[in-house]
Amino acid sequence: MSNTIADEIVHHVKERQPLTIWSVLGNEYFLYCVSFISFLLIWHFIAAAGLLGLATPEATIKEMIRLMSVKLAGKNLFGHIWASSRRILIGFAIGAATGLPLGLFMALNRYVNAIVKPVFDLFKPMPPIAWISISILWFGIGEPSKVFIIVIGSFVPCVLNAYAGIRIIDPELYDVIRVLGGNRRQEIFYVSFPAALPALFAGIQISMSVAWTCVLAAELVSSRSGLGWIIIRGMKLTKPELVLGGMAVIAIVAWIFSAATSGIEKLLCPWKRGIKEL
Amino acid sequence: MPYEEVKVKQPIIFKILAILSLLTFFGVWEFIVDAGIVPSTMLAAPSKVAILFVKKLTQANPDGATLGAHAWMSAKEAVTAYVLAIIVGVPLGLFMGWFKVVRGLARPIFEMIRPIPPIAWIPLCIFWFGIGIWGKVYIIWIAGIVPFTINSWVGVNMTDPALIQMARTYGATDWQIFTKICIPSALPMIFGALQISLAYCWTNLVGAELLAADKGLGFLIEMGRRLAMPEMVVLGMVCVGIGGALIGIVVDVLERRLLAGIRR
Repeated sequence: MSNTIADEIVHHVKERQPLTIWSVLGNEYFLYCVSFISFLLIWHFIAAAGLLGLATPEATIKEMIRLMSVKLAGKNLFGHIWASSRRILIGFAIGAATGLPLGLFMALNRYVNAIVKPVFDLFKPMPPIAWISISILWFGIGEPSKVFIIVIGSFVPCVLNAYAGIRIIDPELYDVIRVLGGNRRQEIFYVSFPAALPALFAGIQISMSVAWTCVLAAELVSSRSGLGWIIIRGMKLTKPELVLGGMAVIAIVAWIFSAATSGIEKLLCPWKRGIKEL
Repeated sequence: MPYEEVKVKQPIIFKILAILSLLTFFGVWEFIVDAGIVPSTMLAAPSKVAILFVKKLTQANPDGATLGAHAWMSAKEAVTAYVLAIIVGVPLGLFMGWFKVVRGLARPIFEMIRPIPPIAWIPLCIFWFGIGIWGKVYIIWIAGIVPFTINSWVGVNMTDPALIQMARTYGATDWQIFTKICIPSALPMIFGALQISLAYCWTNLVGAELLAADKGLGFLIEMGRRLAMPEMVVLGMVCVGIGGALIGIVVDVLERRLLAGIRR
């Protein structure tokens, strides 16, 4: 049996293998198809047999297509996707716009660090979802309470990564700019910020996934729109196709969000391209 | 070594600033509630939270269990799911890194399930398991398994190819290379996942308990909201924070012990 790591090394000396039944069966893309199709088939048979309270994949897809035109609580599927995305974008923008500068300040200035860090450390281990209840007490069950949770959720990883991003910069880089006669301002703008940028983006990426968890939790607890609401609605009406469809749509939209973030990252910090990400 | 480790003693002013900042924080919090700037239905003063904390240690009212019982329930769920995540996630990741067939079969399903936030499984879990412990364990397990799988996978993939070729030259079989070279060299990455996975587990634990539970710290928070007792909400949040920090410290110590013999 062959394996990737060794394959990569001997790849250039390996002759093109003849097309045999085993090379087709062992092909990675072939296996992907097998896996995907058998996943759908197993799902289908479990659902068709009435086990586990599932809906078949066809029913799920049909339900989602139906929802694109039929309105559920005044919004079609895209309306609900937008309702969730809007909350995330607003909350995330506020969280990142406050969190990143704060983290940078904490790392660059010892006084800010001494003042903010103890209080921040108090809030750090608290999962953002734990804020849901108090945010409902504060803001009611409207839009602001959901945005607030997302702000909290995206704020913490942004601060942490901005802070760590500056802290882990190779001290030799500072030495170089000092030798070249740079002052403090130049140190910050030419070394600290560019070198911390990949870490900032890592923070943004984490924030994004935390934000999705938060928005779902908030919508599951109390809301009248959004993808989380579709799921909970499906549960209350015992329509599993609505639950499964909602989950599938969430997966797709969340994936698009994270793909967009890494796309922007590749545009903005090309020096990180070499690192293979998974 | 171009740099020698120099211990710079922090000036005393920074310690004073840190203490002052904490004192100010609690002072302002106590003051804005006591002075009525923020209504007491929305936020509880720290002193009230402390009183409730002492009371809840022995009393089961008004939410049905003492604080210890809540915390024990949460810890039990989190630890069960965490251990299950290690047991399933690490071998899965290792095999996915080394065996093409396993990777080919497991990857599409893994990639499909990964972007779904674990919280979204809650309705299905309630269908499947009711609101007992296993539904929550399932959600936390889903959350915790992802970092373990990815890190062990990357760990195997990052094995130094020279080592593998050396082993091949000496006539090692694939299985021997996998067990003797790839797994040990993936260990630092796997240990790195301990901390990440724990944070995910803890976050999703609270989410799961908010929605489907009759005991646990998340349930305590939710009951505080339903009974309009902000001090209970805050108490729950504080306990979740402390619990997360405590487990984090334990895992950190463990990680350092495990990594002690491995040169980075």
